This record gives sequence, structure tokens and C-alpha cells, in this order.
Amino acid sequence: MSLADAAAPPGGFWTTLHKYVNIYRVSLIERLAYRSDFLLGTVLRFLPLLTTILLWQAIYDSARAGSDPADGPKAFGSGAVTFTMDQMIAYLLLVHISRMFSSMPGLAVGVARSIRSGDLKRYLIQPLDMIGYLLAYRAAHKTAYIATSFIPYAVLFILCAGFFDTVPDGPTFVLYIVALLLSFLIGFLFELTIGMVGFWFLEITSFLFVVNTVNFFVSGHLFPLDLLPPFWAWLFKLLPFQYLAYFPAAVFLGKVPYDELAQGVLIQFAWVVGLYVLSRWLYARGLRRYSAYGG
Amino acid sequence: MPVIEAVGLTKTYRVFQKQPGLRGAFAGLFWREYKEVRAVEDVTFSIEPGEMVAFLGPNGAGKTTTLKMLSGLIYPTRGTATVLGFTPWERPDAFRRRFSLVMGQKNQLWWDLPAADSFQLHREIYSLPRDRFERTLGQLTEMFGVEKLTRQPVRELSLGERMKMELIASLLHEPQLLLLDEPTIGLDVVAQGTIQRCLREYNQARGTTMLLTSHYMRDVEALCNRVLVIAHGRLFYDGPLSGIIERFGSTKLIRLQFEFEPVPADLDRYGAVKRTGPVAELNVERAQISEVLAAILDRYAVVDVSVQDPPLDQVIARVFEASRPEEAAHVPG
Amino acid sequence: MLRYLRLLGAFGRFTLANELAFRGNFLLKVLVEVLWLFILLIFYQTIFTYTQHVAGWGPHEYLFFIGCYYMLEGLIETFFLENCTEFAELVRTGNLDAILLQPCDEQFLITCRKIDWSTAPKLLLGGGICVYALAGMGWVFNPFQIVAFFVLLACGTALAYSFLVVLTASAVWMTRNSSLMELWWLFTTIMRYPRQIYEGRWGNILLVLFWYLLPVLLVVNVPAAFLAKQAFDWGNIAWLLAATAVMLYVSRRFFYFALGAYRSASS
Repeated sequence: MSLADAAAPPGGFWTTLHKYVNIYRVSLIERLAYRSDFLLGTVLRFLPLLTTILLWQAIYDSARAGSDPADGPKAFGSGAVTFTMDQMIAYLLLVHISRMFSSMPGLAVGVARSIRSGDLKRYLIQPLDMIGYLLAYRAAHKTAYIATSFIPYAVLFILCAGFFDTVPDGPTFVLYIVALLLSFLIGFLFELTIGMVGFWFLEITSFLFVVNTVNFFVSGHLFPLDLLPPFWAWLFKLLPFQYLAYFPAAVFLGKVPYDELAQGVLIQFAWVVGLYVLSRWLYARGLRRYSAYGG
Repeated sequence: MPVIEAVGLTKTYRVFQKQPGLRGAFAGLFWREYKEVRAVEDVTFSIEPGEMVAFLGPNGAGKTTTLKMLSGLIYPTRGTATVLGFTPWERPDAFRRRFSLVMGQKNQLWWDLPAADSFQLHREIYSLPRDRFERTLGQLTEMFGVEKLTRQPVRELSLGERMKMELIASLLHEPQLLLLDEPTIGLDVVAQGTIQRCLREYNQARGTTMLLTSHYMRDVEALCNRVLVIAHGRLFYDGPLSGIIERFGSTKLIRLQFEFEPVPADLDRYGAVKRTGPVAELNVERAQISEVLAAILDRYAVVDVSVQDPPLDQVIARVFEASRPEEAAHVPG
Repeated sequence: MLRYLRLLGAFGRFTLANELAFRGNFLLKVLVEVLWLFILLIFYQTIFTYTQHVAGWGPHEYLFFIGCYYMLEGLIETFFLENCTEFAELVRTGNLDAILLQPCDEQFLITCRKIDWSTAPKLLLGGGICVYALAGMGWVFNPFQIVAFFVLLACGTALAYSFLVVLTASAVWMTRNSSLMELWWLFTTIMRYPRQIYEGRWGNILLVLFWYLLPVLLVVNVPAAFLAKQAFDWGNIAWLLAATAVMLYVSRRFFYFALGAYRSASS
């Protein structure tokens, strides 16, 4: 039996599904066990948001102070895509939602660790696929996280409804949801891929830090990419990172021109496929190398 | 004046009970049930300077808890103790300078530094004068045979080597009392032997009082003339090793070699039998030994016979078995 | 006292030797810090293409503020942060016991054990930015102001440290480490902006909260405003000094209370 056979789960589709649903259930239980962590984390997530809103209000107020009020609300950005103060704050709130879907804390490190510790063996011995397992696990965590954060976030958005001057129409909203789900996959696959580097290098945490630092900025987490000089904005939008924060938020706010919307989501989907193929390939190569060294 | 004087030491604590399943996990968000565990109950003993004493007991008996109370790491729920004239859980500076605690499964040395650096830091923390420190360090590394290993990072050492480094670190400040918690756990026989030998030498040379906990008989036999048997938090026995058999060994082992194989089948009616070829080992109550021997010698052709004490392990294991506690109280909270 | 300085020196020596043994990793970590600074500066640059000042802080003044914040982050991260995050792990594994056995001040041992040399460059970089900003605003060299500034910065650091100690101590009850880091990061998000952005209804509530009740805002604001804006506000300065003294005391008491709780719950 080759390694590839060992890694593929036997049995039918439903048994496999059942197995991953069970993993999902167990992970959910595990998450709920840390109650103080939960409550604290949720409540305190909003304080920095408040500070950021105040900061941007101060920035826009200061910008306005020097200009003629008849010019209308100040907007930052370049060309067609600009953000007024309200839109900026709406953007940052939406980035929170995007990040809620796309952030994968500890995934890369966990993968690298299980490679290093030899824990990976269980994926070779048990009829379990690492990528499938991790996906189910992360999906469970995300669901728990989103479910328990739903009410606080709903309250937050109701309180901040004033910042939203437009609401997306039906098709845009559907594409927004699709973009969010795809951003979950991109985030997952990206961190997974980085974790796979652990097959070749012993220590990935520093490398991960560098990547995440760059990612933080290039994904539009700090401010919309359009605030940058046009060349840089265009460059960063070519990367998959924009889908982790910027793109879904921009879609919701109507900052993506209608004709580019569907195209954008398709490109996002292409990135998902590309990253999936890459991670599968790396996994196969990595496993071969791993078993060659005896683990 | 005794080095250690413990009176009625007791330690109980609460453990959160997790309900199984998804519903239980949700329930756990709002309401938790606790169980009270009695780790140590009413333990009293005293130890004189220079003694080497063992705490013997199965896992979870309360040995480590007792040791931690004596080193001041935890407070007792009830009871008092005086160690080197101090109350340990007040943790005065002078007290901490005079004793050492070595825990077999935890490390005191810095993981990524070489042992030599850890030793230097130890010197700084304990404010040891340089010359005396260098001399002591030299003697200790020689005694344990690890001179060449001190410049390697601790995490690269084998378990046995690491344990030796831990012991060296614990002796650098020349403590009057050395507490050891499972010092040879997980080590191979050779390493165990070296450590036992070094500890014995050290005790004989310096008169350092040593108290060690173990569930390995070999440690106890090699090092200590006095044993405190603890099981389920209670002290069952305090005295020399040989006394245990007298106290608790209610059976003896009769070893018979028969002239003809196989060993007779109906031997079982005299007691539990273990057969190997022509040899049988029989566990018999002490009171019935002469009767059983007479009956066997009368009925069968026996070439050789001897009556022995059962192995210490067996005796102790039976003591532990016999001392099962009552149901602990359930305290919802 | 001298003994503790010597100990600190020893900690520094050994951790540096150890750090340099993994040169590649060390350099990567330094790279990350430089990247973060880069991002901070790009943010700064981007904002100031759209406005001439932010809440009364002009470009050079705001740059000085950033340099100040970066230096402070460097001080906390180099000397304390790693030790504090490790504390939860020490509690969980019980390896804290080994530290409690040693005849040395526990708070010192636990919070100062290791020095993270990879974040030490932040001190120099932050200092460099401050100097550059001062030059840009045409500040005239004044040794008394420099000394006073460093005193205020040291107080700010001590204040931030004492908050960190309180968070660290709470790890005894909350054994998952992530909460500590999140809470600390939360504090830094408050610290990193000038107090003048806190206006309006919510702003004033936060101002009262973080300037008077949990005076995190004092940490960078007072020293930075002192030198960059020449704000010789004796009320604020006195408040910083008082808050620092009180918080150092309170945090120490709380820390030992937490150690007591650890020891009661231990088995």
C-alpha cells in the first residue's frame, strides 16, 4: 500500500462525511470548554475598534479643518475609489467581518509542529486526510466563533448603522457572502501552505511572522488599499491577500464596480483552486520527504 | 533537633468535574460540579539530621504533595511542619538557601542554555562565593562523571545526563536538606545506579539529610534504611525496610522442586501456585506453613524445598490494594 | 539592589549568547520588527498626504510620538514581555515551582528572566526616529529637557510594566495564554495614539477610563507631548508620577496574591 493510499480515507462518501462531522463536534466541545477565554475575547475585541474609529474621525476632522466646508465631505483615496469618513469606518468594520472568516490563528504553527513532533504519523496510519481533518477542525472553530460572536457583532453593526450610507443590492450581497466563504478557504489554504514549509525547514515561526506582518498591511487590514498611491494599490490587488480583508469589504460597500464584481469573485475562486493545488502538491512532496527520513 | 518535624499534615483540594458530550459542555458554561480530593491526610513523622529516608507509595498516594508542603510550595489545609527550624510555607529567604528540591519530571535548569551557564546563574542567584563555588562544582561534576557535558545545551542531553545536571545544580549551594521527588523515574538501570551511588556518597561525606519519594523498590533498597509508606494520602508505616515484611507480609513463599515433572495438579488446594517445569512457587499463609509443608512432603516426592519472604513489591502492592478509601464527597459548586 | 543589577546582567549575557547561536532566526526576528516599523511609517506617510495635522499633532510631532511609542514597545518587549507570556506556561506545567524555590525576589525572577535581544533594536530605531523628528521641527538642544524626557519615559515604561504584571498574574486563574496577549495588545492599541483623538461622547468616556481610571494613555502621551509639543503641563506630569508609583505597588501586591492562589490550588 503506497503512502497515497494510506492517506486517502476508505469507505463511502457518507462514512467520510460522518467522520468529519464528528471531528467537527468534538472540536466544538473543546472550544466551549474555555469559557473565560471566550467571554473575554469577545468583549474586548470591540475596544480597539472604538479607538480606531476615533482615530479616523480625528484624522478626517483635521483634514476638513483646512478646507472649505462647501467642498462636501472629505474623501480619501485615488481615482474612482474614495472613502469618506463614514465609508472608512464602515470599511474597517467590514474588515472585521472578513477577518472573522479568513484568520487562521495557529494553523501554520500547528501543522509545522505536528510535522516536527512526528505527530504527522497518525495521518499516515489512520485513514484520515490531514487537509480534510484540519479543514473540518477549522470550520468547527469558525462556526463556534461566528455563532458566539454573532450577537455582539449584530449589536455593534446596529449601533454603527449610521456609518453605512449604502446597502448592497441582492446580487451584490450574494456575491459578498460568496466572497466571505472563499476568503475563509484562501485564508485556510494559505496558512496551510506556509505550515507545509515545515517539511523542509525546522523553524517556521519567524518566517510566518514576516509573512503575517506583510500580509497585515497588504490585505488592506490597516486601511483600504485605494489610499495608497495608484501603482501600489494596483500591485497589491494582484495578490491573493486582498481577499482576506479588503475585497469582501469593498464589495459590500459598492467600491467594486459592477462589471468587475463577478470577475473579482471568479479570480478569487481561481486563487482558491490554485492554492488548493499547491497545498496538495506540497503535502504529497512533503510526505514523501518525511517518510524518507523515517519521521 | 530534628531536621523535619511534621504533625497532622493534611491537604485537600477541589477538582472540576467535566460532563461528557455536547450538552455537558454547554452546561459547563454556567454550572460546575466539584469533587473534593484528599491528597494527604493527617501525616505525622520526624526526621533527624543525616538520615536518608524514603517515601514509598503508588502513584497519587500523596508523596509529591507532602514533599511540596515540606518545601513550602503549597500550603497545607491543616497541620504543622517545621523544616530546618522554619515554617516552610512562609518561604523565608534563609530557608530557601538551605535546602533543595529536585523533581524528577520537571526541570529547573534553563532549557536552551548549556548546563554550565545554568550553574553560573545559580551561583548568582544564591550569591555563592566564586572560589568555593568553583570547587564544589568541580567535585560534583567529577562525582557524577559529567565534566565533558556541561557545555552542551541542556535540551540535547539524555534524560539520565539531564537528571545528573539537575542534581548537581541542587547541590551547588551545599544544602542541609535534599528533597527528591522520583529522581530516577524514566532512567535506565545504569543511570539509576550512578545516581544512587552518588547520593549515598554525598550523604556519607557531608551528612546531608535526604528525603526521597519513589515507587521504585530499587531506589529505596539502595539508599534508605528508613521507609515511610504512604497510600491514599495516609501514612501506613514508618520504620526500617525489613520491618515491612514482618508487619504486612502475611504470607510466605514456599519453593518446591519436585522429582518428577509435571508438578502435581492438585497442589492448588494449598494456595496460589506458580509452575515452571518441575518447580512450583506456593503462596501460603504464615500460620499454615508447617501444616502445608508437612502435607506436601508426605504426599509427593520433593527434591528441594525452601521457605522465603515474598518480594517486597508484592507485599507493598497488597498494602496499597488493602487501603482503598471511602467514596469522596461530591460538592456541587 | 546591586545583586539584582548583577543578576540582570547575567540574564542579559546568557540570553544574548544563546540568541546569537541561532543567528538566522535572530536576524529574521529583527527583520519582522523593522517591517512593522515600516508599516507604521507607511501608515503615517499615507495619512499625512491627506491632512496637515492629526488632532493637533503636526507631521514632525506625530512622527516623534511614533518614535516614542516604538521605543516604549521596545523596552517592554525586550525586558519583560517574553517572560510574562511564559508565565502562563510555567503555571500550567508546574515548572513555576522551580522558580519559587529560589532565594530571590519572585517578581524579578519571573518578569526579568530572559532578555529578548531581537526586539532591542527597536530602542535604537525608535530613538533614531525621535531624533529625526526633533531635527525636523527645529528643536533646540536642551539637556534638562532630555533628562526630564527620559525620566518621564522611564515612568511610562514602569507604568506599562505594572499593567503587564497585573495581566501576567491573572494567568494563575486563566490558564490559557491567549487572553493575556490579547489584553496586552489591547492596552497597546490605546497607548499608541495621542489623547487628543478622544473627543465626542464615546471619546470622553474612553478618556476618563484610560487617563484616570486605568491610566494607560499616560504612558506615551506625557513624555511625547513634553518634548515634542513642549507641553510643560505639571498636572499631567505629577499624575504620571503618582500613577506609576501607585500602580507599581498595586501590581506587586496583586502578583504575590496570585502566587499565593497558585500555591493554594497546587497539589
